Amino acid sequence: MGIKFHNVTKTFGNTAVVDDLSLSINDGELVVLLGPSGCGKSTTLRMLAGLEDVTSGDIYIGEQRVNEIPPQHRDIAMVFQNYALYPHMTVTDNISYPLRIRKLSGDQIRERVGNVAQLLEIEKLLGRKPRELSGGERQRVALARAIVREPRAYLMDEPLSNLDARLRVQMRGELKRLQQELGTTTIYVTHDQAEAMTLAHRVAVMRNGKLQQFDTPLTIYDRPANRFVAEFVGSPGMNFITGHVDSGNRSFQREGLKLALHDEQLARFNGTNVEVVLGIRPEHVSVSTTQQGGLLPATVYVSELMGSETFVFVTLAGEKIIARAEADFRAEVESTVWVGFDLAKAHFFDPGSGERVGN
Amino acid sequence: MAAVIPVYWMLTISLKNEVDQFAVPPLWFSFSPTLAHYRDAFLTRSFGQYLITSAIVSTGSTICALIIGTLAAYALARFRMPRRLDRKLALWILSTRMFPPIVTAVPLFLMMRDLGLLNTRLALIILYTGFNLPFVVWMMRGFFLEIPRELEDAAMIDGDSRMGALRRVLLPLVAPGLAATAVFCLIISWNEFLFALVMTQTDEAMTLPVGIAGRVTQYEIKWGVMSAAGIVAMLPILVFALAVQKYLVRGLSLGAVKG
Repeated sequence: MGIKFHNVTKTFGNTAVVDDLSLSINDGELVVLLGPSGCGKSTTLRMLAGLEDVTSGDIYIGEQRVNEIPPQHRDIAMVFQNYALYPHMTVTDNISYPLRIRKLSGDQIRERVGNVAQLLEIEKLLGRKPRELSGGERQRVALARAIVREPRAYLMDEPLSNLDARLRVQMRGELKRLQQELGTTTIYVTHDQAEAMTLAHRVAVMRNGKLQQFDTPLTIYDRPANRFVAEFVGSPGMNFITGHVDSGNRSFQREGLKLALHDEQLARFNGTNVEVVLGIRPEHVSVSTTQQGGLLPATVYVSELMGSETFVFVTLAGEKIIARAEADFRAEVESTVWVGFDLAKAHFFDPGSGERVGN
Repeated sequence: MAAVIPVYWMLTISLKNEVDQFAVPPLWFSFSPTLAHYRDAFLTRSFGQYLITSAIVSTGSTICALIIGTLAAYALARFRMPRRLDRKLALWILSTRMFPPIVTAVPLFLMMRDLGLLNTRLALIILYTGFNLPFVVWMMRGFFLEIPRELEDAAMIDGDSRMGALRRVLLPLVAPGLAATAVFCLIISWNEFLFALVMTQTDEAMTLPVGIAGRVTQYEIKWGVMSAAGIVAMLPILVFALAVQKYLVRGLSLGAVKG
């Protein structure tokens, strides 16, 4: 079932937690709401669930406007960060709760619980109480309780953030598989950009209650709409260098730094000289211990070996720049290395508004 | 020891004949026990009736206070009212317990007289419900606040109504707290003396504490009868407190309800 937010605003007192949000989510799509804590993503989800009132605007599930419909009649399922399993019930009772409320017959309930337990490989846990389960097992039970009912949509509020790192990656993959198999519209809230990139069909990046960009993970990564999105998505984050475009000299300049620009890039500035922030991801910054033509000298601040690659933090023209190098790259702290920029991959942002300049 | 000796002394007096009661030095262990005072109290006099009245009044008022108080506590724990009115309301409810009860005795007496409820069990049930309410509201509010809100959110999204979520998810989780609160209410109502004395004068409506005190008369003090009735009055509370002891401790140590 498709889901639509139409100019939705939520205010607490005088502060707008969600500000004029419009989103249109397709049937069967997995959309991730991504943003730092306090950006309004959880509130957005809770409004969709009916747990918070909408101050203004409309929310639609399918063709139905749901603003005034209480949660129990919205026919959606939600997975909470702390799982919210009912502590006094066994796993079976937890999973069957939504079915028992809907007064399904005992046989139907047993069959459905059996199927979903098999799907999530929790058959052995059915007789236990939630406190006897590990974090990962609780997570599965919470998922089972959401799935068992075949609702119109799944809402997930940071479902993986209470798990340890390794389990999180494993569950992330399983969630993606599961969503593809079930084909049910899913809205997933997280502050973890890696989860957003890996899971989503489309990512909605939010900040201070405002939608920043709503697009596929690849577009978000390759064409961030503004400096905030560019900074938030990708790890380690994008490098930013403040300077100005000198159209006469066909270059981006700041004190101690001059980078030649392509025609296409210059065209974005219409031959003017403007202040601008250049953004470039670490993988588009090369680093070398030997001097070659076109490379710029920089001082190594620190280098971090990640196993499959090395991130080299260098100081160049007063700015800290992160470059990605091969795993076998070695450089002493404070030694001089040679840095090159793949400027075709550079982004430009307005220094005031932070908006992307050009496409 | 200090707590047990008076109780033991009362027990022996209830079993001694009237001569042994006043023996000097006191007869601690060696006397010939008799059940005469128990027979006197419960068969000849109306203590059986008082006992029934006490039971009806305390259970009745406890049930009423629990039902009303739990719902109020739930509302105060979960709903935010504008201008922090929910906090103020909770404090105001508590404040009704802060003045000495005697100041309300006369007005309440007049109200009950006008309502024609003097000398009725209903009057005491209403009054005790009122006295216990603030206590129930505050205890239960604490227990509800301990329970993560997400549990109800989950229950409602799973298709339950708010009252259904309260009944099927919240109440089972606060059950130990509910039991502890019930015991406190029972004990308070069972032991209440002042208002029972003011509101009831007839044997039909009198509770045990009033009945017992009534044996202190101008001409004699029936120590044996009073002690026998006192022992009987003590028993239900003792038994009940022992039965729910486990829950009482768990209920009082907040946080025990978390899974």
